[in-house]
Amino acid sequence: MKLDVLILLLNIFLPFAVAVLLLLIPKKVRWLHELLTLLTTLFCVAAALRFLLFASQAKFTMLLFSIGNFELAFDIGLNSLNTFMLLFATGFAFLIAMYSLKYMAAKEKRKQYYVFLLTTLGGASGVLVSNHLLVLLIFWEVVSVSLYFLITTGGKGSRAGATKTMAMIGAADGCLLLGIGFLWYLSQLLYLDAITITINNWLSILCFILMMIGAITKAGAMPFHSWIPKASEKAPASVMALLPASIDKLIGIYLLFILCTKIFVLPQGLLLTLMIIGVITIVAAVMMALVQHKLPHLLSYHAISQVGYMVLGIGTGVPLGIAGGLFHMLNHSIYKSCLFLCAGAVEHKTGTVELEKLGGLSKTMPVTFITCLIAALSISGVPLFNGFVSKWMIYQGMLSGQNAYLLIFLIAAMFGSALTLASFIKVIYSVFLGRTSTVTKKVKKDVGITMQIPMLVLALLCVLFGVWYSLPLNEFIYPATQTTPVPIGSWDSILAIILSGGGLIIGLFIYMAGRIKKKARVGETFIGGEVLKAEDIRVPGTEFYNSIQSMKPFKGIYNIQNKGALDPYNWFGRLGLAFSSILKKIHNGILPFYVFWTLLGMGVLILLFIL
Amino acid sequence: MDILLTGVYVVFFPGFFTVVIIGLLSSWVDRKVTARVQYRKGPPLLQPFYDVVKLLGKETILPKQGSRFMFILAPLIGFVSISIVAVILMLRPLVATSFVGDLIVVVYLLTLPSLALIIGGAASGNPLAAQGASREIKLILAYELPFLIAIALIVYKAGFKIDLQTLSATSELGTVSGIISFIIVLLCVQAKLGFVPFDIAEAETEIMSGPYIEYSGPLLSVFKITQSLMLFTLPVFMITVFWGGIQFHGWELLWFVIKYVVILVLIIVIKNTNPRVRIDQALKFFWGFCTVLAIIAFVLAVIGNTYGIAWL
Repeated sequence: MKLDVLILLLNIFLPFAVAVLLLLIPKKVRWLHELLTLLTTLFCVAAALRFLLFASQAKFTMLLFSIGNFELAFDIGLNSLNTFMLLFATGFAFLIAMYSLKYMAAKEKRKQYYVFLLTTLGGASGVLVSNHLLVLLIFWEVVSVSLYFLITTGGKGSRAGATKTMAMIGAADGCLLLGIGFLWYLSQLLYLDAITITINNWLSILCFILMMIGAITKAGAMPFHSWIPKASEKAPASVMALLPASIDKLIGIYLLFILCTKIFVLPQGLLLTLMIIGVITIVAAVMMALVQHKLPHLLSYHAISQVGYMVLGIGTGVPLGIAGGLFHMLNHSIYKSCLFLCAGAVEHKTGTVELEKLGGLSKTMPVTFITCLIAALSISGVPLFNGFVSKWMIYQGMLSGQNAYLLIFLIAAMFGSALTLASFIKVIYSVFLGRTSTVTKKVKKDVGITMQIPMLVLALLCVLFGVWYSLPLNEFIYPATQTTPVPIGSWDSILAIILSGGGLIIGLFIYMAGRIKKKARVGETFIGGEVLKAEDIRVPGTEFYNSIQSMKPFKGIYNIQNKGALDPYNWFGRLGLAFSSILKKIHNGILPFYVFWTLLGMGVLILLFIL
Repeated sequence: MDILLTGVYVVFFPGFFTVVIIGLLSSWVDRKVTARVQYRKGPPLLQPFYDVVKLLGKETILPKQGSRFMFILAPLIGFVSISIVAVILMLRPLVATSFVGDLIVVVYLLTLPSLALIIGGAASGNPLAAQGASREIKLILAYELPFLIAIALIVYKAGFKIDLQTLSATSELGTVSGIISFIIVLLCVQAKLGFVPFDIAEAETEIMSGPYIEYSGPLLSVFKITQSLMLFTLPVFMITVFWGGIQFHGWELLWFVIKYVVILVLIIVIKNTNPRVRIDQALKFFWGFCTVLAIIAFVLAVIGNTYGIAWL
């Protein structure tokens, strides 16, 4: 067995083995849990880095059993697509393990947390490298189940979110299984690299849609999104950063990408469906994010909204758009986990996530502030940050379709970007700028260095991928899509950064020129000469969009949404309740009634036998 | 094109310094015309320059609350981003291909001065500035929707091209849809400039200049320069996208100046003949009237293109 294959197998199974080991180690030996988790994740990062640097093509096949022409084989292999995704999946796991050292230190269910962090890592690696769909599904389920247990580490009240998550993801996984069943029926093949199905009949359409539901529910696109905000209520921020923000996006969009480009040959109609899902997700989710009052809620609605761009990009069906969609997935994982980690840091220091109670933290938590600002600018698509580049590519992907209706999607996507900016101005203002509140006054200094490093690394990646965007595109994205699309437009980020450097120097020169003679004075804020109490002067950022919320069409929509009428979880819940209420009515506890049913059943059976 | 020459283009002519000077002169035009409308005499030609120099000599006062770092950085961000847009638009006629970025880049960069204003206001810790910042961001949301639709129409007419060279080669004002979107973009530019009737974020009589309230001395002068840069850059953007672009030779240059003055005067006239609206009225105006009008223009363009009717 070659060394690479061994490392690849270890990459998947070492996390599981260590997870079992952690279960055996008593809870009191905290340092050992942390150390083992860190070392395991570090090993996985190193392994993935090795695969990437040596462009490893390691393959491993072991036939488990076969009946007729059905084969179940543990078939894994590396290619240019999954190698870079493996690197990022393991990288996020490592950074978050590092962040958790301090963040989870005081939490009660720490042991459970580390165990399932590792199984998530193993499961995600398994999903990315498996070449057999059933094996992929097994690892996929491991990730789903780990998510359930990770959310419940949030302690009291976290179970509700975990249950909803499990119900929705479980249902979607069921769809995926059914889809795989149809796929088997259609092609008699389950190896990813061997299947190609041209969609031409209703069964293949159904098959694609079922599998797509599995993929986009994991990624969190509408209408199967509502588990993310619910889970975010009580789950630790690091769990949100690890799963819904990064690993779930990676594997969900990975599957969608494979479905759309490798397994199925999609007709225009289905591509259009994907794009419509994408656009609706972008706009609707960001409108919801705009009016949220809790930081995790707001961030999770953005985690949904951003999936829209990825789905939209892949739905364009042109190389530039698809590459943009994949790149956006990567960028989103980076800035969104950074944002969740910042939210975790704020929560760690202040003990609250209510935007109304926060404010003025930029002085006492400068590192968190700067990293959060960079991530916020990235997600809003400000040029020179990474979010802009991938959005820009997706827009061009749409333009190369040369169709007027694509421009409608373009407008919606670009407007979604403005809404994202608006929503993050609210975050930056309410948490970091503005005036201090009674809660934030008590904060004296920033979080510890082990929590700062992951945030800093992610923020740095945002800037690096934004300025030097040809690096990730040429190293990761284009080899994975096996195309090198030529952009329609142009964005010379290196020249732009030189120009902005020059502009900044001129600006600073103007500022400093004025300060040569006199030093700057620090003064109280001027409020028209009035003397007000500190508490009266606070303008909470949560009130920023009240005038939009109370506008005519939006007011009604927000009301409907708040009642939960747009949530498929509630639809199915109600359906289930209606069904069980019928059953409930049958069980009325009256003996003659039961006897009647029994006799009736026997009668039917006898009738059947006679006939 | 060698680096030195490009550097000269970027910094002196037709780049940065030229734009600053024309921008400040434009703000003089604005003040002079406004004064004449109000039966005042108005300032002398060099007044905007005196203002900037005088502000440089004034004391800088930093707010006690809020984030001082962002308070200082914000005006610079706005200044840098609008300068880059100005350079992109002014250097376009001199380079064969695209310089720095395309239409999408420019559209994104054009929101940054407003963003800088918001962050600066928010960082000052002043409640009135926060109020102004909140209004400014809502105003961005309001005008961005019709603005994007009008821009999409241009992209459609240019055959789905987004490089500025292609877009500047044609004039769209010969068509009905082109004129409608031109008017819509003009209104959006009014809002981007923060001019009456959309000076809601500043509203001197109400919230005392909103986000600017804590700014003084050199930092305020940076904001003033940014504003005058915008007063020049935004009309140039409109000319580039809608009205055949700029050329730097012979009569073309004069033609460009005439176009610029026409747009400038239109902006000033709108400014001086309207009262300030409330933020909810602005939202309704842009998301209702303007958006509907922009959609109508878009539909007209699609019809015109499909059935070969040139004047639509």
